[in-house]
Amino acid sequence: MKARVYKALAKAVVLESIRRKDLWVVAILGFLILVSSGALGLFGIGGLEIFVKDLAVSVLGLFSTILAVLIATRMMPEEIKQRTLYPLLARPITRLDLIIGKTLGAIAVSWIAFLLLAALTGLALAGFHVTFEPIMAQYLLAKMMGLVVICGLGVAFSTLMTPSAASTMCFVIVFGSTMISRALVMAYESCSPLLQWVFKLIDWALPQVSLFDLGGRAVYMHWSPVPMWVMGALALYMAVYFAGATGLSWLKFRRQPL
Amino acid sequence: MTAAIDVQDLRVRYRSKKGNWVPAVNGLSFQVAPGEIVGFLGPNGAGKSSTLKALMGFVEPCAGECRLFGAPAGSLEAKKRIGYLPEVAMYYPFLTPIETLTLYGELQGFGARAARKEAATLLEVVGLQESAKKLNRTLSKGMLQRVGIAQSLLGSPDLLILDEVTSGLDPVGRKELREILKDRQRQGTTLFFSSHELSEVDMLCDRILILDKGSLIEERGVEALKDQLRRYVLKYHGPAMIMGIPGEGDESEDHVFELRCSTKEDLILALEKVQKSYGQIIDIESREGSLEEYFIDTLERAA
Repeated sequence: MKARVYKALAKAVVLESIRRKDLWVVAILGFLILVSSGALGLFGIGGLEIFVKDLAVSVLGLFSTILAVLIATRMMPEEIKQRTLYPLLARPITRLDLIIGKTLGAIAVSWIAFLLLAALTGLALAGFHVTFEPIMAQYLLAKMMGLVVICGLGVAFSTLMTPSAASTMCFVIVFGSTMISRALVMAYESCSPLLQWVFKLIDWALPQVSLFDLGGRAVYMHWSPVPMWVMGALALYMAVYFAGATGLSWLKFRRQPL
Repeated sequence: MTAAIDVQDLRVRYRSKKGNWVPAVNGLSFQVAPGEIVGFLGPNGAGKSSTLKALMGFVEPCAGECRLFGAPAGSLEAKKRIGYLPEVAMYYPFLTPIETLTLYGELQGFGARAARKEAATLLEVVGLQESAKKLNRTLSKGMLQRVGIAQSLLGSPDLLILDEVTSGLDPVGRKELREILKDRQRQGTTLFFSSHELSEVDMLCDRILILDKGSLIEERGVEALKDQLRRYVLKYHGPAMIMGIPGEGDESEDHVFELRCSTKEDLILALEKVQKSYGQIIDIESREGSLEEYFIDTLERAA
């Protein structure tokens, strides 16, 4: 029963996204990738295989992340603003069901966008006879898990603050979590024990989205796939953060007057 | 028998932008029996929508309670038996009516195929079958209201809660809606709706509740109210206004008097007096009272 509810809600999000032409951004980017790869082809890319792959993976990671943040952070505020929320919540579903369904919808859209972009990038690179190692599949899988965390965070922030503030917050955390953690570690030694605990808490709470980026390994050739336990640990990390973010959204939204 | 709606000492308040608590509903209590059609009236800002939102569980009361068929408002058990039409009908702009209703049907618990079938049937009921595959964003306000009415009827609910039900509908649409609602009532559905359209209330309701400043100021059966508001008008020709005759009267033309009696008994008495005084009866008429005037009078009295 719950699965049917989540599927129906997520399907509506995907349909809306396609018809709203959100995914056109992906098509335009894909086109740009193909055109730019064509331009690179004019100069020949002999010996530049790593550079081209690095560029492709970076573009792929960057744009799929931006798209995921933008989609996830507008999901709930739009429901409230457009008042489409009322007929939904008049059905025998809970507010938690709504959050989960909408977040799954955002995840589905960001996955579609990412896989489309990946397919187009792959097509462009294949044109130059660039080879793909098996780790590329792991890169895609890990990135998709990362998008789950990003979407969960985006929805959670959007229930706590305005959509623009939520996007900004999300971008800061997604792109800056590694830097923030590094800064915390550097400052750790010179702080009081109380502040050290605060730093530890922040460090634990900060989602390390960069962990899901296996792009570095995928770019350089002859890297063997990462062990399965690493992928399992990433999946667990994703599940924990998704549950945490969804719980946070629910805590804020469950008694919010509509 | 368990009441379809049971509201006891309901209080709802909102926090203003300045941070103050603003009361919207103040100690409201009423009941609606299963199968009844009850109109919920009141001027803008009286607390009607807040009450309906509390019934749907969209806002949490700060005191009191609402129960629907014995279940707490907002619970899944209650929501399974309710159809709700929000005040401003907004539906996903990039979905079609059939997709919209299928989505709600699936959330209601139907399988995908059954939900689509039910959606198609309801679109036919509200006369939207030809626009079933157009995007919601291309539909007029009235058509969107029909989508809203169709979604509220999904799953044949035992109770329909409708906020400003006739909003955006043309006269033909209103007539069709009345027929749909009457038909649902014949099937045993309870109807509770807010409206500014007193003519709709007059034609549909068994009972009205009038709300002002968050409090109930009047609760009347519509038939009893109509009886109270009805006037029997006797027009007669005579030399002068007859003394001691019941009712209010005045001279409308030269030696033609118009007498307004509030009951049939008064009318009979007046007829006897006119005959005894050798007056000539010109016309007897039964005039319906104006619900609108009564509504305004009630609000003024309360103020």
